[in-house]
Amino acid sequence: MAVPSFARQTGMACAACHTVFPELTPFGREFKLNGYVLDNIKQIKGITTENRETLSLNAVPPLSVMLQISYTHTGKALPDSAATGALAKDGDVLFPQQASFFYAGKIADNFGAFIQLTYDGVGDSFGFDNTDLRYARHFSFGGTDQSSQHSMILGVTVNNSPTVQDVWNTTAAWGFPFSGSSVAPGPIASAKLDAGAGGIGQNAAGLGVYAWIDSSIYAEFSIYGAAIRGGAHPLDSTQSSVIHGVSPYWRLAYEHRWDRNSLSVGTYGIVAKEHPGNGHALQGPVDRFTDTAADMQYQFIGEDHLFTILATYIHENQKFDASFLNGAAQNSSDTLKTEKLVGEYSYQRMIGGSLGLFNTTGSTDALLYPADPVALQVVGSLANKPDSRGYVAEVNFLPWLNTKLQLQYVRYSKFNGMSNNYDGAGRNASDNDTLYLLGWVNF
Amino acid sequence: MNQNCLIGLIVGATIYIGGTAWGAAENPAPDSPLGRTVQTCGTCHGTNGRSVSPTFPNLAAQTAPYIEAQLKAFKDQTRADPDAQAYMWGMAAQLSDPQISELADYFSKQPAPPPGKSAGPAMIARGRQVFEEGVPARQIPPCASCHGAHAEGMATFPRLAGQHAPYLLKQILVIQNALRNAPVMHGVAKELTKEQIQAVAAYLESI
Repeated sequence: MAVPSFARQTGMACAACHTVFPELTPFGREFKLNGYVLDNIKQIKGITTENRETLSLNAVPPLSVMLQISYTHTGKALPDSAATGALAKDGDVLFPQQASFFYAGKIADNFGAFIQLTYDGVGDSFGFDNTDLRYARHFSFGGTDQSSQHSMILGVTVNNSPTVQDVWNTTAAWGFPFSGSSVAPGPIASAKLDAGAGGIGQNAAGLGVYAWIDSSIYAEFSIYGAAIRGGAHPLDSTQSSVIHGVSPYWRLAYEHRWDRNSLSVGTYGIVAKEHPGNGHALQGPVDRFTDTAADMQYQFIGEDHLFTILATYIHENQKFDASFLNGAAQNSSDTLKTEKLVGEYSYQRMIGGSLGLFNTTGSTDALLYPADPVALQVVGSLANKPDSRGYVAEVNFLPWLNTKLQLQYVRYSKFNGMSNNYDGAGRNASDNDTLYLLGWVNF
Repeated sequence: MNQNCLIGLIVGATIYIGGTAWGAAENPAPDSPLGRTVQTCGTCHGTNGRSVSPTFPNLAAQTAPYIEAQLKAFKDQTRADPDAQAYMWGMAAQLSDPQISELADYFSKQPAPPPGKSAGPAMIARGRQVFEEGVPARQIPPCASCHGAHAEGMATFPRLAGQHAPYLLKQILVIQNALRNAPVMHGVAKELTKEQIQAVAAYLESI
């Protein structure tokens, strides 16, 4: 994530680590994998008499602020949430949609953090957001001289969302679209490792170890446990989708760089066992979600032209040992498949555009994807399927590296299983088409 | 063991340890202060001074006085081309003078980068002509007269041989626009046409 905190700490302009924020350049990936510690500002130091370092603190804290102001317009206005038969206001201004405060940078030698606190304009609430703390060290091994030696970073990450620790922009936390409306409707289902309705998101806390070898091979193993903010604590039956025990998460990637290009291919996944909760006790059988995903990222960073391709495919096996018993799922097992492909272009990091295609398909399940023309207008599925597909098109203008003005259009050719009357109450997929205007400034 | 064997062992050990210590000047331990700094520079420039992206110049076998002068220019911000501002002002801000000397020494001792080839033989031949003869019609002296017959560099005149052609092109353009504080080069290069710069850059990358 692009934050001026890092610019303040490193003394480097945004373009060093980012193509167009928040997407990372190869150098930006190195900075993150090194623990966010690269610093070029005065340090407050402490040592013992044995010359062991006890403190290395930025004299000036790397703090920054982010502000998003937006306007959302959907193809057809949404139904009023109370007055039957009426429509809500057509068009929604959020001032702000989101305001965030960051401490992002070094905490001690080899130890740094990305900490985000966010005010959400829709919920009118303030709380923790994406957070990643990491400790990383360099090692060399093998070889007899500089040219044949291998270099390796070994690191530990503690974070609050699967993929927030990832350095490629193909995975959920930092993937495309990098910003979107928080009031427009979204499809009923998404994989655990995807953004959207079904994703684990920040309802987890993770501990992981990773290795980054010769700036090309990445291997990570992490475990995630339930960590839900708000609601009943200790977690009980009033919460939902509570991870049982620990969920193993893995990530492998290979990146090749040549001239001004970088190409990475990778795979990632999680096995998440969950208690559905939602009125049912957090005991007994659990649902098991196994995500297996592949991704690819290509970047060309030229003098004037920048070009990126992002692709990911997530296959999710859903085994409903719990939800099938308590009537939340019609089938004892289902699948969900997600495909995304994005192309981005920028001229001098100033003017650019992106086009992202998305396609989610899944099993028919009348209890998982129910319909009710009265109670589930907009969010239901007459076909009892999660299938949604379409594209996201964006035009961006950045008068300065830290300010983005964006026009985004989301078009649905299919939403919650069908193109027309998908919810049984007469709403079409195209009624959810969204025009989104965003002013995004970081300082 | 007998005395000869012991002497042999001691001599062998001395050579090995001495060899390792000598090697250490070229290969600082990763956790030593110089080692850590080299790791940081190496992220873009390669720990052996050979970079992948032409945005970042090769530093391997660069002349130590030139590296020192540039690091100091980044530190006091007298070198102000766009990539200097984006990357190197921050990078050099906290470097001490002894660190700058150590880095210059380290990279200057790295094996020279292998020749690259980014253009056809005609362009390379044209570039060689400009490099060795200059452009007399525009009072441009031969580059070789300061940079060396094989572009190997001389004191504060940098090595150009094996450098990324796009980087060389960009630096000449930046010097022509006086974004780098380089009055000697500005006088020399201001009359070069873009076609001549591209040709000489292609030649220099190939040697």
